[in-house]
Amino acid sequence: MAHATQVGLQDATSPIMEELITFHDHALMIIFLICFLVLYALFLTLTTKLTNTNISDAQEMETVWTILPAIILVLIALPSLRILYMTDEVNDPSLTIKSIGHQWYWTYEYTDYGGLIFNSYMLPPLFLEPGDLRLLDVDNRVVLPIETPIRMMITSQDVLHSWAVPTLGLKTDAIPGRLNQTTFTATRPGVYYGQCSEICGANHSFMPIVLELIPLKIFEMGPVFTL
Amino acid sequence: MAAPPEPGEPEERKSLKLLGFLDVENTPCARHSILYGSLGSVVAGFGHFLFTSEIRRSCDVGVGGFILVTLGCWFHCRYNYAKQRIQERIAREEIKKKILYEGTHLDPERKHNGSSSN
Repeated sequence: MAHATQVGLQDATSPIMEELITFHDHALMIIFLICFLVLYALFLTLTTKLTNTNISDAQEMETVWTILPAIILVLIALPSLRILYMTDEVNDPSLTIKSIGHQWYWTYEYTDYGGLIFNSYMLPPLFLEPGDLRLLDVDNRVVLPIETPIRMMITSQDVLHSWAVPTLGLKTDAIPGRLNQTTFTATRPGVYYGQCSEICGANHSFMPIVLELIPLKIFEMGPVFTL
Repeated sequence: MAAPPEPGEPEERKSLKLLGFLDVENTPCARHSILYGSLGSVVAGFGHFLFTSEIRRSCDVGVGGFILVTLGCWFHCRYNYAKQRIQERIAREEIKKKILYEGTHLDPERKHNGSSSN
């Protein structure tokens, strides 16, 4: 989860998120250099003694500052498109989970190997145990195996919601009447948090998502396969 | 972004962020590129000044040198970093396979020895 003053991205828990962090670093370095150049140009403009207002016709400079930004945009677009297509790769998921957004809780359905269906409500502050996270912890977590391709089918029962888990690089809108799909493979066990990311009413900020990622061997012993 | 420190652990130093957003310490290759870029900027700018004694133009050359050297070092370092990550991933998967299949007919070492003896 994010800590109080965090501005940057969370550590990656999936290969896609690792690629997104790499792309973010790449774009940020280009942005930094452009900002540096603009600041320098601003400094020169503010400190110049040149006052001739009849300057015109700087063909070479105009050519450079047209072609160079185009090249920079291509340098940013190519890795971006690569990751975009990577997220859409078909990777034969082993497990499909349905996530249904409601006002203001999530319902999860594990229907591949049985009929496990449950609701996931935020824990009210009065019900928090010591160590629980306020406004983030839920009564029933989504328990999933690591190193297994998982497909999430996301929809909504009422208004727009969005199922987001930043550490996995996931954010998918839950739209009533539509079934959206996202796939991921988690690389390390742990408890990961997300929050609803589409305004959905009074308690939009109070319907978090909690994933508990565990080794596959332990997952197979759980209620998904034994119920 | 690193995880927050546990209670009892020493607090992390505040990371240096150039222009308020480029985290030089936690971004791989950033520190290396900025340092070499600064060096390139000083060499180019000062060198130009030594030959021409033009301050303004030398500053422009220095800034241009900074941008070009930083960009060059950045791409070179990131390319090597990406290659290293791929090699790490391959090594990790091979170790996992070795642990899982050691002693069985799927043992990668047995397959490799079998093919080399043939």
